Amino acid sequence: MIKARRPVMAGSVGPMIIVAVIALALYWPLMLWVNAGAAQRSLNSGADLGCATAIACATQLRNPVLPAPAQLGSSLRTMSLPPMAPTSVPYNTLVTAGETIVGLLIASVLGIGLAVGLVGSRAFERVTLPWLIASQTVPVIALAPMLAVVLGQYGVQGWLPKALIAAYIAFFPVAVGVAAGLRSPDPMQEDLLITYRASGWQTFWKLRLPASLPFLFTSLKVAATAALIGSIVAEISTISFSGLGKMLAENSRASDTLALWVIMLYGAGLGIALVAVLGLIERLVTPWRAGQSR
Amino acid sequence: MAQPAVHLKDLNMVFRGAQGDTVALQDANLDIQQGEFISLIGPSGCGKTTLLRLMADLITPTGGELLIGGKSPAQARQERAYGYVFQSPALLEWRTVLNNVLLPLDVMNTPKATRQARAHEMLKLVGLEGFAGRYPWQLSGGMQQRVSIARALAFDPSLLLMDEPFGALDEITREHLNGELLRLWQETGKTVVFVTHGISEAVFLSTRVVVMTSRPGKIEGVVDIDLPYPRNVETRESPRFFELATKVRELLRQGHGFDADD
Repeated sequence: MIKARRPVMAGSVGPMIIVAVIALALYWPLMLWVNAGAAQRSLNSGADLGCATAIACATQLRNPVLPAPAQLGSSLRTMSLPPMAPTSVPYNTLVTAGETIVGLLIASVLGIGLAVGLVGSRAFERVTLPWLIASQTVPVIALAPMLAVVLGQYGVQGWLPKALIAAYIAFFPVAVGVAAGLRSPDPMQEDLLITYRASGWQTFWKLRLPASLPFLFTSLKVAATAALIGSIVAEISTISFSGLGKMLAENSRASDTLALWVIMLYGAGLGIALVAVLGLIERLVTPWRAGQSR
Repeated sequence: MAQPAVHLKDLNMVFRGAQGDTVALQDANLDIQQGEFISLIGPSGCGKTTLLRLMADLITPTGGELLIGGKSPAQARQERAYGYVFQSPALLEWRTVLNNVLLPLDVMNTPKATRQARAHEMLKLVGLEGFAGRYPWQLSGGMQQRVSIARALAFDPSLLLMDEPFGALDEITREHLNGELLRLWQETGKTVVFVTHGISEAVFLSTRVVVMTSRPGKIEGVVDIDLPYPRNVETRESPRFFELATKVRELLRQGHGFDADD
């Protein structure tokens, strides 16, 4: 009669490790194979690589196609230290993280506000929704430089334009998700509140808003990834002095594949961390769903 | 006797639709006295749920007279004169069992000091005092429906409107909850209007069974249930129970109740 509680993540760690081991086992021969050609060409041109054969050299190229794990490890170390230096990756990750989080906060406020309007008024929905959808069809990479220039006119520079661009692409999933959530109570629950003579305000606070919370977190996780893309794209396509996007642009011009790999790993880590933090907040805010089989 | 708890006179409900009008209820006449337990029985589409929703002021009749305790349904709703139990428990999944029972008291702003005690008392009444801190998903369907009954009783309305509350439950659980409901009705003295399509359930619970037929939905007849109290398992096995159930069944057949294509 009473259903048992089940930890949400239990049982998924083992399979994840297995997949990681398999990926690593496949990576090694692949890496040797793709790097061997470049190594052979360098050897043929008479360059002194300090190694005899193409296979031996494949793990020590300056700009490998795929880095050897040892190369990646040492690059990771040198680029991470000292962590708070303006040229280190951790510092620039924090800059991007700050832009993304501020962007996500702006997107949440805007998205929830729009959702309340969309659900509250048919007229508002008819007037607004086509424009909201249109706003999302503008490629963010085209929008970013223009927005940076416009904001620059008003003295808004640095991280804030990036946060605004992140918010621009992140508010939409929040608005759509929360609107669906506010509409999610079933008709009987709505009738129930009518029989209590509940006010519109009470129906909103006691029924619609709590019903929308699971939807809010699902869309926030989507929005977090979108916001991260937004801030990195904004950093790349506008004048930037820090951030992962700025580092990516620099190192891609220098064809420094090792650096690009390290930056990419930090970017992936940041994305995972953001979603994980949201998951944690979700468990605190919606405790009734803990252990619920879905 | 004072005002009837529910008074229907030539009550009509027509739903207008693109494919023509549907007569959900035609010229219904009925008086329900205070403290009665009335079952509305009939095939799907006979207007029994419509009648209940009319009483609850969830929809407005297209003709005739309907009074709840001498007042209009709208006024009765304003005065929170009735509690409604739906087909599904319709519990709020983010509220614990106790907080679900507290919901009407929160909405109605009853004195904070007495709220908790009242909610606990209601949970005790339906035998779920040990589950106050659970979430709805942790309970079985039957337990969830008991919570929803406790919730409907929490603000002490004199009239209880129940729309097939046990329809989704298995036979064993239903018979058990029938006994519980009968006990609740006797302890609280509420007037109950109970929609069902179970003949034995209707006969077992009611003081009178109102038989309805479909297309157009109307009241075919009323069967007085003179089974003695206390009613229990023996009641269900008595010859009189069988006679009354047969009478209800005949009335349903008379109105072609079994021909309804559902």
